[in-house]
Amino acid sequence: MKKSLRWGAIVAAATVTTLALAACGSSGGSSTDGKSIKVVIAEYSKDHTKKFWDEFKKTYEKQTGVELKLQVISWNDIDQQTSTMVQNNNAPDILNLNAYASYAADGLLYDSSEVLPAATKADIIPAFVKSGTYKGKFYGFPDLSSARALFYNTELFSKAGIDAAPTTWDEFVTDAKKVEALGDGNVGYALPLGPEEAQAEFAIWLFNNGGDFKEDGKWTLNSAANVKTLEFLRDLNVKDKVTQNNPGSTNRTDGAFSLFEQGKAGMVVGFSPLQGALDSDHPDVKYAIAPMPSGDGAEPQTYGVTDYLMAFKKDGNKDAVKSFYKLYYQADQINKWIKSEGFLPVTTSGLKEFADDPKLKVYLDTLPNIHLTPTDDPEWDKVKLTIQQNIGLAVGDNGDPKKFLDDLQAQAEANK
Amino acid sequence: MRRRRRERGTASPVEALLWLGPALVLIIGVVLYPAITLVATSFSSYSITGLRKGDAGITNYTTFLTSPDLPKVVGNTAIWVAAVVVITIILSLGLAQFLSKEFFGRRFVRWAVIVPWAAALVISSQLFRLILDYYHGILNQALLTLHVISKPIDWLGDPHFTLPSMIAVGIFVTIPFTAYLFVAGLNGIPGDVYEAARIDGGSPWQIYRAITLPLLRPTLLIAVVLNMIYVFNSFPVIWILNGSNPGFGNDTLITYMYKLAFRSAQHDVGLSAAAGVFNVLLILIAVAVYLRFVNWREGSKNA
Repeated sequence: MKKSLRWGAIVAAATVTTLALAACGSSGGSSTDGKSIKVVIAEYSKDHTKKFWDEFKKTYEKQTGVELKLQVISWNDIDQQTSTMVQNNNAPDILNLNAYASYAADGLLYDSSEVLPAATKADIIPAFVKSGTYKGKFYGFPDLSSARALFYNTELFSKAGIDAAPTTWDEFVTDAKKVEALGDGNVGYALPLGPEEAQAEFAIWLFNNGGDFKEDGKWTLNSAANVKTLEFLRDLNVKDKVTQNNPGSTNRTDGAFSLFEQGKAGMVVGFSPLQGALDSDHPDVKYAIAPMPSGDGAEPQTYGVTDYLMAFKKDGNKDAVKSFYKLYYQADQINKWIKSEGFLPVTTSGLKEFADDPKLKVYLDTLPNIHLTPTDDPEWDKVKLTIQQNIGLAVGDNGDPKKFLDDLQAQAEANK
Repeated sequence: MRRRRRERGTASPVEALLWLGPALVLIIGVVLYPAITLVATSFSSYSITGLRKGDAGITNYTTFLTSPDLPKVVGNTAIWVAAVVVITIILSLGLAQFLSKEFFGRRFVRWAVIVPWAAALVISSQLFRLILDYYHGILNQALLTLHVISKPIDWLGDPHFTLPSMIAVGIFVTIPFTAYLFVAGLNGIPGDVYEAARIDGGSPWQIYRAITLPLLRPTLLIAVVLNMIYVFNSFPVIWILNGSNPGFGNDTLITYMYKLAFRSAQHDVGLSAAAGVFNVLLILIAVAVYLRFVNWREGSKNA
C-alpha cells in the first residue's frame, strides 16, 4: 500500500511537469453574438503597436457599439497561441499573421466578397491582392508591407577604400573582403541564416540570381540558380570568411542587425524599420542604402514582405468584421499605423501619401513590382518552416546546399 | 473508547471526501484532464492551423518513432539527464558537508547558494546567454585576457561546446535545491553516532563512508528521483541557450516535442502529443529502472 501510494505520487509528479508544457494555452470562451470581436495582433514594436491598436479599439467601439477584445502577442508566441486557439475551438475573429493560406485551405476564413468593401479591394496594390489570393478568392488582406535593400556602412567602406556599393556578386565579395581586412572585429557582411527569418535572407539572394521558389505553379526549390545561390552563401561563410561567426546560428534582429548597429558590419540586408532604429538610436553609424547586387547580371530585384489581417468565419460576426475592415483601411488609420511602425503602405492611396518621404523613396519606387514569397500556397507555410529550421546547417562546415534543397523539393512535392 | 479509535484513523467516507475534496479537484483538473486530452490529441490528425481533421489512429506514434532526428534527440536527452544529475549530486554532497559546518559567514554563503534557485529559470538562462555570447560574453573576454584561449569560443553555437555549456548551466541551476536537500539530510543524522565512531577510532573518510552515506541514503534516493524528473522536463535552459541554432542536433525530447508542435515543418499538435505521451512513459520507465536498481524497498524501510 505504501509503495503504491508513493508510486502514485511519482506518476503524478512526472505527469504534471511533463503535461504542463503540453497543456498551457487555452482560455476563455468564444463569443459569436455580434456584441464583441476578438482581434489578435502581432507586436511589431513595443512602443507603437499597442498604442495604435488601443486607440483603434476606442474609435471602433464608439462607431459600432461592438466591443473589441484586443490581444497583442509577440512574434515569438503568436503562432503557437493562435494554433492553440483554433485547436480549442476558440479562434479569433480577426488575426494578424505572416501566413494565411493554410487557414484559407482549412475553410476557416471569409473571402473579400463577404467582408471587404469593393473600393478597398480596388485600392490595394495588385501585387498584394495576388499574394493574398488562394484558389481564386482573396483571403489574405495585407496590413502593411516592407521591402529589403542593401545597407552599407559608409565609414567602413571609405576606410577600406571602396567608393560605391557593389552591383555584382563578385564586387560584393571583393568589398566584403576589404572590410574584413580592416580587422578590429569588423565583418564584411552580416548574414542571418538562423531560425528567425532565414527564408527572407535566402529569398532576397536567390531572387537576385534569377531563382525563385515556385515557377508556373510548380516548386523549383532545387533549381540550378537556387543551388548556386545557397552555395554562394555558404562560401561567404566557409571559403571567403567574410561573415560574422556562425551565420547559421545568427538571427536577424539580435544578431545581424545588432552588429550593423554597432558599426561592426560592412553590409547587411535591411528594411525601413532598421533605418528608423539607426537614425534614432545609433546616429554615429554612417550608412547608405543601395539595391541588391546581382548574381546573374539582371536588374536588381526587390524582395518584399507583407503580413495579413484575416477574418475567421463565425456565426453572427460578419457585420462586426466588415466594420473592422472598413475602419482599418481608412487612410487616416492604416497609414498612421504603417508610419508609426516604419513600414511601407499596401494601398495605392497610401503610396501617394508616402511619396513625399525622401527616406522611403528607394523602397516605394520598387513596391509595385515587388517580388514576394509564395504565401498563397499552403505548402509554403511548411517549406518556410523547414528553411527557417534547417538552412543554417546547410551553410555550416559540414553543410551540403544541394542536398538540403533536394530534400526541400522532395518535401514540397510529397505533400501535394 | 469508540471516539478514540475514530481519531486514530477511520473517518467516515463523507468526512474523508470533504477533506480530500480540494486535492481531488486539483488532481482531476490539473493532472487527469490534461492527461486525457493529451492522449486524445495524440490519436487525432491536425492541420498546421490547429484544426482537428479527424482520427489518426497510431500514425502520429509511428511518424514520431521513425523520425530521423529521434535517435540523436534521445541520445542528447540521456547525456543531459545523466550528466546533470550525477555531477549535481556529487557537487551537492560536497557543498552540503561544507554548509553544515559552523564557520564565519555561513549565513551569507547559504544565502548565496539559494539565490540562483529563487531566480526564474528563464532569467538565469538569459543571463548565461549573455555570459556565453561569442562577441560580447564575459567568459570569452576573461579567457582571452588571461590568455587561456587565443580566439573566442562559440559556446552556444559550436556543436562541440553547445551541449556541455547547457549541461554546465543545468548543473548550476540544479545544485541549490539538491544541496539543501542534503543539508537537511545531514542535520537528521544524530550526533552520537559520529561520537561513537570517533571513539572507535574511525578516520574521517571511514566515518563518511560507513555512517554518513548510508544514513543519507533515503535523501540521496529522493534527490536522484526528483532531479531525474526535473532535469528531464527542464525546458527553459535548452530552449533559450540553444534558441538560435538550426536543426535538432542539440534538442532534448522536451524541446523537440515543442518544436514538433510549433517550429518544425510538421507543425503538428497531434504528433507533438504523441511525443508527449512517449516522454511521460520514458521518464516513468527510467525512474522505475533506477528504483529497481537501487532496491527501493530497502530504501523506504530506512525512510
